[in-house]
Amino acid sequence: MKLTKIKEILEADVLTGKYDPEIEVQIGCSSDLMSEILAFGKPGSILLTSLTNIQVINTANVADIKVVCFVMGKIPDENIINLAKKNDVIVFITKLTTFESCGRLYKNGLKSCSYSNLDK
Amino acid sequence: MDDTRTTTKIQELTYELKVEDVISKDIATVSSKLPVSLLRDILYKKRISGVPVVNDGKLVGIVSIEDFIKCLEQGEMDALIEDKMTKKIKTLYADEPLVHAVMKFEKYGFGRFPVISRKDKKLVGIITKSDIIKGILKKLETAYHDEEERRYRASHIFNDIIADEVFLKFQYYVEGKNFDRAGEAATGLKKTLYRLGLSPEIVRRASISTYEAEINIVAYTDGGEIIAYIDPHQIKIIITDKGPGIPDVKKALEPGFSTAPGWVKELGFGAGMGLPNIKKFSDKMTLRSTVEKGTHLEIIIKLSDYRNGE
Amino acid sequence: MINLKDIVQKLDLKVVTGNIDREVSAGYSSDLLSDVIANAQKDNIWITLQIHVNIVAVANLQELAGIILVNGRQPEEATLKKAEQENIPILLTELSTFEIVGKLYELGIHGNRR
Repeated sequence: MKLTKIKEILEADVLTGKYDPEIEVQIGCSSDLMSEILAFGKPGSILLTSLTNIQVINTANVADIKVVCFVMGKIPDENIINLAKKNDVIVFITKLTTFESCGRLYKNGLKSCSYSNLDK
Repeated sequence: MDDTRTTTKIQELTYELKVEDVISKDIATVSSKLPVSLLRDILYKKRISGVPVVNDGKLVGIVSIEDFIKCLEQGEMDALIEDKMTKKIKTLYADEPLVHAVMKFEKYGFGRFPVISRKDKKLVGIITKSDIIKGILKKLETAYHDEEERRYRASHIFNDIIADEVFLKFQYYVEGKNFDRAGEAATGLKKTLYRLGLSPEIVRRASISTYEAEINIVAYTDGGEIIAYIDPHQIKIIITDKGPGIPDVKKALEPGFSTAPGWVKELGFGAGMGLPNIKKFSDKMTLRSTVEKGTHLEIIIKLSDYRNGE
Repeated sequence: MINLKDIVQKLDLKVVTGNIDREVSAGYSSDLLSDVIANAQKDNIWITLQIHVNIVAVANLQELAGIILVNGRQPEEATLKKAEQENIPILLTELSTFEIVGKLYELGIHGNRR
């Protein structure tokens, strides 16, 4: 799914990063526990979370996650944005809840980092 | 590099490059039916010393600034270009090696040659000596960058260094209780491993493991250090701190077991997944801990697919 | 409103405790208890990976319709006991948060309006 479509579905704003509407994201993952994302997140996916601190960006960076979307209208602070810029992590924000965001993306065809293919 | 080698490299490039690789394609042309007076604007504005004369795409001659000056001296500004241009012209084909152009410049001493396509003989551009120099410099620059990048790869470091054992060591210091800086070691190591040309999957596994270990140092200790040793076969990451140590190591390795304080949980960690994650992403993990003394964690990631990173 | 029984059946959830004959208003997904206390609403189905006993207290407090534990997680012993006491449905799935939420969404369960 193209980023431009994800942005539209989530009614999201782009805060930073090398946003390119043509970038393809195939997989969605969501958690407020970063260890869960480290364990199950897939490279190139979008991470949806209501947690807003710099560790979300560090997590995305080490796990090769391309896009982070902060939900519930949470606005990340300057440190988070700067770190995201530095590491080329694209940051979205949406007013939607985690549930609504995941639901809409799944319904529109975004795949999940499902439990069955977790092996390294 | 000595002079003979430089010359050789440039000579090599003149055979490698084609005329069409270096020519200016965005060129001014004039029709043969125009008066010479019109040349003033073209030559002056474009800052060129000669213009190909083209009728219906076909090259019929070339008119130079010398031709123009001659007409100016003799008061023949109203003459048609076709009467003053050079009709017997030397051209180059676009697909000829650049060395042919070099030889023609030497032989005839002209400032420029029109370049035509071999197929339909239509004008495709013009070549000057400065085009040749620019083209060669550009090619040399690209080759230089490629070489730079190639030299950056660890595999070549390992290949080039002669020793029975070679390893690279990277050391990072981690501050305890400072969540604002947690992750700096892992992201630093990640960038470093990438630059060494390791495969993305290896880099990802190493950096996730390091990151979890770093979070543990920050969350539970007063600080520690992370040292990564890279040799041609494996990445060994040693994480040490100075306490307080883990009372029950076996329990600490159980997924879901956590002694994390509330502030760690609110930051998105402390769900008892750190050590299990490290175990999951590494090939070997060894954890030793002495209460009040500190913890020593060793992570090994094998580089069997080392060359895949290239 | 959708009945939790239908959801359990359609999504192949494993019921470990609680009465599932109740209505679900909407869904809420979060792994931060404080967030759920602040933002979940009555009769929400809650999707989380937390298995600690405190999740039952939160569900009770917010009068949630039930808790789905994701990624194959099992509740802690104390959680199970407390959920039985309080009659809070605890349901298990092997799916990730993203996927189970997606499937709930396809059944017509949406997020809370904000």
